[in-house]
Amino acid sequence: MYSEEYVESTGYEYNYGGDYDGHTGDPHLDMEYDRQYAYKVPDVVNKFITYFKNAISEGMIFEIQNYYENSFPKLTEQFFDKKSWPDEADIAPLVDNDPVFLILYKELYYRHIYARIPGGPSFEQRVQSFYNYCEFFNYILNGETPVSLELPDLWLWELVDEFVYQFQTFAQYRARGGKRTPEEIETLNQNKMWNVLCVLNVLHSLVDKSNIKKQLEVYASGGDPDTVAGDFGRHSLYKMLGYFSLVGLLRLHSLLGDYYQAIKVLENMEIHKKYSHVPACQITTSYYVGFAYMMMRRYADAIQTFSSILLYIQRTKQLFQTRSYQNDQINKQTDQMYTLLAICLVLHPMCVDESIQQSLRERNFHEKMYKMQYGDLNEFEQCFNFGCPKFLSPCSTNVESEDSVKEAMKHQTNVFMDEVRQQKMLPTIRSYLKLYTTLPVSKLASFMAQQARSEGSNEGTVAKVDIAKETEDLIIHLLCFKHKMKNLVWSKGASGLEGQFQSGSELDFYIDHDMIHIADTKVAHRYGEFFIRKIMKFEELHRKIKQVKI
Amino acid sequence: MSQVENMRQMVATKLNGIERYNPENLVLLEQYVEMQVRENTYDLEANLAILKLYQLDPTKYNLDIVCLILMKAVTNFPHTDLTLCKCLLSDRNMQDTQVSNIVFLADILERCDFQQFWTKVNSMPDLCSKITGFNDSIRKFVCHVVGITFQTISKPLLARLLGDIDDNSLVMWIRKNNWKEVENNMVLIANQDDNIKTKNITEKINFTDVSAIMASCR
Repeated sequence: MYSEEYVESTGYEYNYGGDYDGHTGDPHLDMEYDRQYAYKVPDVVNKFITYFKNAISEGMIFEIQNYYENSFPKLTEQFFDKKSWPDEADIAPLVDNDPVFLILYKELYYRHIYARIPGGPSFEQRVQSFYNYCEFFNYILNGETPVSLELPDLWLWELVDEFVYQFQTFAQYRARGGKRTPEEIETLNQNKMWNVLCVLNVLHSLVDKSNIKKQLEVYASGGDPDTVAGDFGRHSLYKMLGYFSLVGLLRLHSLLGDYYQAIKVLENMEIHKKYSHVPACQITTSYYVGFAYMMMRRYADAIQTFSSILLYIQRTKQLFQTRSYQNDQINKQTDQMYTLLAICLVLHPMCVDESIQQSLRERNFHEKMYKMQYGDLNEFEQCFNFGCPKFLSPCSTNVESEDSVKEAMKHQTNVFMDEVRQQKMLPTIRSYLKLYTTLPVSKLASFMAQQARSEGSNEGTVAKVDIAKETEDLIIHLLCFKHKMKNLVWSKGASGLEGQFQSGSELDFYIDHDMIHIADTKVAHRYGEFFIRKIMKFEELHRKIKQVKI
Repeated sequence: MSQVENMRQMVATKLNGIERYNPENLVLLEQYVEMQVRENTYDLEANLAILKLYQLDPTKYNLDIVCLILMKAVTNFPHTDLTLCKCLLSDRNMQDTQVSNIVFLADILERCDFQQFWTKVNSMPDLCSKITGFNDSIRKFVCHVVGITFQTISKPLLARLLGDIDDNSLVMWIRKNNWKEVENNMVLIANQDDNIKTKNITEKINFTDVSAIMASCR
């Protein structure tokens, strides 16, 4: 949204704008040009790089933002769709070998290779990219005083996001095995590249340097974060890097199955508050938080997290229509969140917003949910496998072992399926209880026995139902129902880990002597919030229109 | 008690930031687990930190400590600590007999099949006797679940769910939970009617929500 505002204000007044338009006349001519002058970098690209470098050196934040968000993708699309940007050596003379710019340029260079080059990066490129990140973080963190660099928030977020992503894909690459040269094997065994401890160290250092945790604490209690920020934290670059590193840690811990730490890392951060103007960051945060809650059997919290972010995405749908790498990821995470939400709603039926219900219907989730409710474990597993993140195994064990990434996925899936299996009888019980206000235990026991028999046997023989045994079994299921429906729910407090045990079920019951007393909750539709929001919006619109002078 | 408190505070400082991943802390943390087992205290974060260190460096993996941690997690039901611990192990770890026994035990407990649970516990005496106060922690959990499910329950059933305890112990547990013995050999838990009533949730719009609209109506 504000890239549009910004374009209006500068209107592409730089010279290269003109050249640029002239060059894009005929793509075939451009390809010819590239082929004839094999390693000659196109002029327009040279100019762009020079302007880019100047903007960064002089801290012209709006220009940097424009170059990063608009020019770079456009030029990539045009000239470097399936090949890499010019090597460092080719463009270094243009920028007087400026070390900071070269580091930043290489960050974009390698990111592009990971994203667009068919076949992905080579082993050597992965290693070089890692070294480049090390150089960048050393530059930022090792000084006595904060560096004077300024970069747009979106770039900082994508940098941290990409850093964790490259670690993730390296771990997958290492686990996959395959042909490797002796040097590669040697490097892998040394375990210095993309080492998990190194990544953790970087993220923790960024968090510590910026005092972001203290800043969030003060901000949450209404104070001024600058008072605790310290020299580094006051600087926007460090503050935002610190904040994005917290999200990076959330993601990393989730990928390794440490859900407790994942939520702990976000202490003092209110998940639904916008701390940055980067929607991708917010969406990623909600996805991982919701997933962690789901694995911790805090279904009410998970549903709440998913619903509010999905509502937000629904309202801002237009932002994510253009085809770009970030938007692809956002759309994928949206699909994953809908799937996880469907699973949670089956395990813990709850009222959600009308528009979310509608979306679930439109995306054909009701059939899946129906199957899951009737105990189709395969459906659960499939949905889980689609919705879960791509887990990793952190240790660099021997190369001959089987795919440790697949193992990690399988393990987390098994832990989740254990939980699902324990809850297998709940939907059946719920469906019976919904029909009554009071019901003797023995009667319900006989219903369930009848159903089990009719589902099980096809033979003519009818075994005698042992009511006492069935009743015993039923009591166990009823106890289990109550146990599973009482989840920890967060209501207040700085840490997402806090919460009270609350019975989340709309359908509740208790047993008195031999009678089950059932209570159902009917929730009326809520219109108030919707109307209030729209009224305020129209008020503002009305005010703005009134001010327009024709 | 102060020795435990000291240990807890010392461990807490070791778990801050990047220090958490320092493998040299393992000795201290492992001692802390053994202390928890002896003194019947519990510290989830410290235990998860140990499992994380084992995850990062499998050569340091210590099966006995892992079993102790898992058993302690079981004593903290209804919290989902055991699930958190399981997620930090690997598939290979889970296939070890001792670990899978504990996980199976926990599975029975999660399904609230208390009678089968006690039978299984009695068949694994060495494992459970290592943890001080194990049986009582489980009984506390059973009382919690019974407390939210029943308004009145028969005494024999309650005794069975608590592990076939004798009459004296049963009376002690009833008293501990502020329950009452009533006629017909029943125990009155609580008047659940107050909590569990058919509810009709209608929407309540607060004045504060509409105050903004009313303010702009001039």
